[in-house]
Amino acid sequence: MFERLGRKSLESELTDEQLHRSALAGRGEAIAALYKRHGGLVYRFTLRMSGNASIAEEITQEVFLALLTQIDRFDAARGSMSTWLCGIARRKLWKHLEHSKDALFDFEEHTAAELVCVNEGPAELLLRQEAIAAVRAGMDELPPLLREVMILCALEEMSYEQVAGILAVPVGTVRSRLHRAKARLAGLLRTEMADTEGERR
Amino acid sequence: MTEKQLDEVLEELGREHRAIDAPESLERVLYAAAESRKSAIAKPRTQFPWAWAAVAILLAVVTTGGIIWRSRQTHQPQTQQAHSLPAPNVSPGPLHSSPVTASQIVAPKAEPVPRAVNARAPLHHPSPPQAPTSSSLDAFVPLPASEGLPTAAELSIVRMRLRGSDLQQYGLQTPADALAQTMLAEFAVGEDGLPRAIRIVR
Repeated sequence: MFERLGRKSLESELTDEQLHRSALAGRGEAIAALYKRHGGLVYRFTLRMSGNASIAEEITQEVFLALLTQIDRFDAARGSMSTWLCGIARRKLWKHLEHSKDALFDFEEHTAAELVCVNEGPAELLLRQEAIAAVRAGMDELPPLLREVMILCALEEMSYEQVAGILAVPVGTVRSRLHRAKARLAGLLRTEMADTEGERR
Repeated sequence: MTEKQLDEVLEELGREHRAIDAPESLERVLYAAAESRKSAIAKPRTQFPWAWAAVAILLAVVTTGGIIWRSRQTHQPQTQQAHSLPAPNVSPGPLHSSPVTASQIVAPKAEPVPRAVNARAPLHHPSPPQAPTSSSLDAFVPLPASEGLPTAAELSIVRMRLRGSDLQQYGLQTPADALAQTMLAEFAVGEDGLPRAIRIVR
């Protein structure tokens, strides 16, 4: 019970930097608290980018283990820990993607959240589900450079500055990539919808 | 699909995306990794006391050695300094002469022989000059007349009887009440026959 209380206070009261120092000193609670705070972001990003749960898990673990060994490299003045961790995850992911060109996309089990729209009828709900599935599939079709911008900006709702920090590019580049990604996605969706309508006819 | 519709769908997809949590199994792995790091950090710390103990012992040995060496240095006989009236060119007339080596002078005598008499050590007359009196001549003191002479390899002790006033001839100050007294003195004479130091025996 005391351990639980300790964990709760660690998670809520201490800053990332304080937790970081604690983790370096060998406190398991500190790294666990950091994982609870930022693990989701790292895992989701790697999962959406790789499309493979085991790869995402592996990279997430590597990222947080790196946190234990490369803790001195983190500088709170230069950016948040989530940005820093996501940057590490991205580099590891790109390395992985370079080695294995055929990234799998089997994360359907993770995206089984039910869409609850009480104001919509069954037909509208079905249409919406189809649209979401189409967008998701369209995102997977995007080249990785555009996909990562879409994930971070559109799905994680990060600011351009944060994404620029993760990708290590200027904010303008983030904006232009996002614009290109959306345009590409819209084009893909139009094509798919046209194909679907053709099939229905 | 319009841009607005796309944004709405992306918003929906984002909510769905953010609902995904990191696997809990990793938390346990990381916890264990951090704890193992703690033990890795703790290991060198436990070795520190031994290292510090070794350093402390070494320091204690060095300090003790230094103290012993210093105390030995301070217990070594101090050179008595004589000086400094102009010495007359007079040699003592021997009453009794016995050739001895410098080492014989240094070792067996009850009274310490001044280092200046030692054959290896040159006689010197440091400032400030303060002429010794007859009362301070219980041990050998270098004669002012011997200043500048080469170091004697072998010394002879020459014992002679003289008056207190005679000491002035050798450049030594004599108290007024001792001027008329007769005293027995020993001269350390080098192999060249020149006296190097004097000691009042009685």
